[in-house]
Amino acid sequence: MIAARGLSRSFGPRIAVDDVSVEVAPGEIVALLGPNGAGKTTTMRMLAGLIAPSSGSVTIDGVRLTRATGSTLRSRIGFLTEAPGLWDRLTVRENLRIYAGLYSLAHPDAVIRSTLETFGLEPYAATRAAELSKGLRQKAALARALLHTPDILLLDEPTSGLDPEIARTVRGMLADRRRAGCAILVSTHNLDEAERLADRVAVLHTRLLALDRPAALRQRLTTGRVLARVAGDAGAYLGTARGFDRGATIEYGAIVLTLSHADRETPTFVRALVAAGADVLEIRPEVPALEEVYLHLMADEARVATVPS
Amino acid sequence: MIRFRALLEKELLDVARNRAVLLPVAIATLVFLVLPFVIAILIPATTGDSLGDDAGLARVSLLMGPHENLSTNGRVQLFIFQQFLIVFLLMPVTGAMALAAHAIVGEKQARTLEPLLATPLTTLELLMAKVAGALIPTFAISTVGLIAYALIIAGSAETGVLPAMLNPRTLVLVLGVGPMCALVSLQMAVVISSRVNDPRTAQQFGVLIVVPVTALVIGQVSGALWLSGRALALVALGLFGAWILLTLFSVALFEREAILTRWK
Repeated sequence: MIAARGLSRSFGPRIAVDDVSVEVAPGEIVALLGPNGAGKTTTMRMLAGLIAPSSGSVTIDGVRLTRATGSTLRSRIGFLTEAPGLWDRLTVRENLRIYAGLYSLAHPDAVIRSTLETFGLEPYAATRAAELSKGLRQKAALARALLHTPDILLLDEPTSGLDPEIARTVRGMLADRRRAGCAILVSTHNLDEAERLADRVAVLHTRLLALDRPAALRQRLTTGRVLARVAGDAGAYLGTARGFDRGATIEYGAIVLTLSHADRETPTFVRALVAAGADVLEIRPEVPALEEVYLHLMADEARVATVPS
Repeated sequence: MIRFRALLEKELLDVARNRAVLLPVAIATLVFLVLPFVIAILIPATTGDSLGDDAGLARVSLLMGPHENLSTNGRVQLFIFQQFLIVFLLMPVTGAMALAAHAIVGEKQARTLEPLLATPLTTLELLMAKVAGALIPTFAISTVGLIAYALIIAGSAETGVLPAMLNPRTLVLVLGVGPMCALVSLQMAVVISSRVNDPRTAQQFGVLIVVPVTALVIGQVSGALWLSGRALALVALGLFGAWILLTLFSVALFEREAILTRWK
């Protein structure tokens, strides 16, 4: 497990990261969301032991990441940087071979062979990195980050700029690593990806604005609006609906009402509709997308920032 | 050691794929391979003037010792070949300087430094591999040149000149002063490369490092600076100590954070 406690980092007078605490457990994917300049890369670098925090600490399975422990702990981390950072004049295989040496792998050839196979890079093994497409470079960089089978993965925008097919492959690989027990922190701008991939989402804007499961985050903005579609004339059941919400209306042939405790009241409402003789086709609570939650958090943060102290 | 070897392999592969970068070293080696022969063999043979007839040269060549088994002409040849030997040994350093100066700042510019620093590679391993990566190819070229130098001396100079050259002083020059001088210069270039944020700046500072080397070379060639074998051994030892200190200094000066966060 990798854990950050009260992590802060300043560059001169500018605070890049302020008091961030986050844990990523084995077999868990946490997505780090935030606008440009929110401190995502700085946080990743601190977690990777590349830069030291101004205050706070990073621990890996209880061992604090310091200058003295850095070299040993870094061998347990796979770090995908924002740029693929492959050596252009070297082939894909050579790039991997050098990194196999840097991680002191015992059987580099076998590991490289299996990694190339896993990532579908065998046809490009002898191709120089400079000649690869952007997607293949990203795949090769990801292969490099996973070469030493790290139990912690830090990935800075792993699918940025990739076509949907390769992005999906990458997501599949990350899901595989999660199943293998890897603790994965992914920084991304792609909210849809975060929602589909991550067990928990951390929203960062210098400080941590939220850290929770995507569903729980969405729940925060849940309005209690429920849409009920019934067979036949919906207006015939509007009275039943108004027993729950006086403002219930018909929109596009469906009953729309707001329940103050949607979780508890929705089953009661459904039973009332059925009792009134309605054939219920669909009941859909209105749940905001993660994007709305994210934008809401950012808007809140902007309001806080502009309020004079 | 495995990590050092791995990064060194990368450095050597990189140079092998970009051989043009070694062209200046090869040209410098060739020039200093040919130049002493032009002076000591070709010009006297063309003009018919024996080097031994030049009173100034004959006098200065006595710095090498009487060498009674050689004629005056042979002794002057010995003097010229011996003087050019140090030029020959040090000139490749100027070429390697470009490689060393580019070592860290080049990685940063290519955005390959961050993944590299995220590995367990230590700063000492990184810097040592960078120095060795610049040194080995240029030394390979100068070794080939050195063998050619000896063969040409054997084939064209007066009999006895080559055996007279093969003495402890030459050995100290070839195995001590040359490599140590190169190590110190390249280590310094790597330090500079880790402190500047532009390869051109590193290159400019690299030129400054070559200045004392050039002064040494000029002193040797002009005969103004003649160091005995013992003095050269001390110089080599001093350079070795300086290299150790410089290496420790370069590790202390290497700021991973500054390189990653402040360089653009």
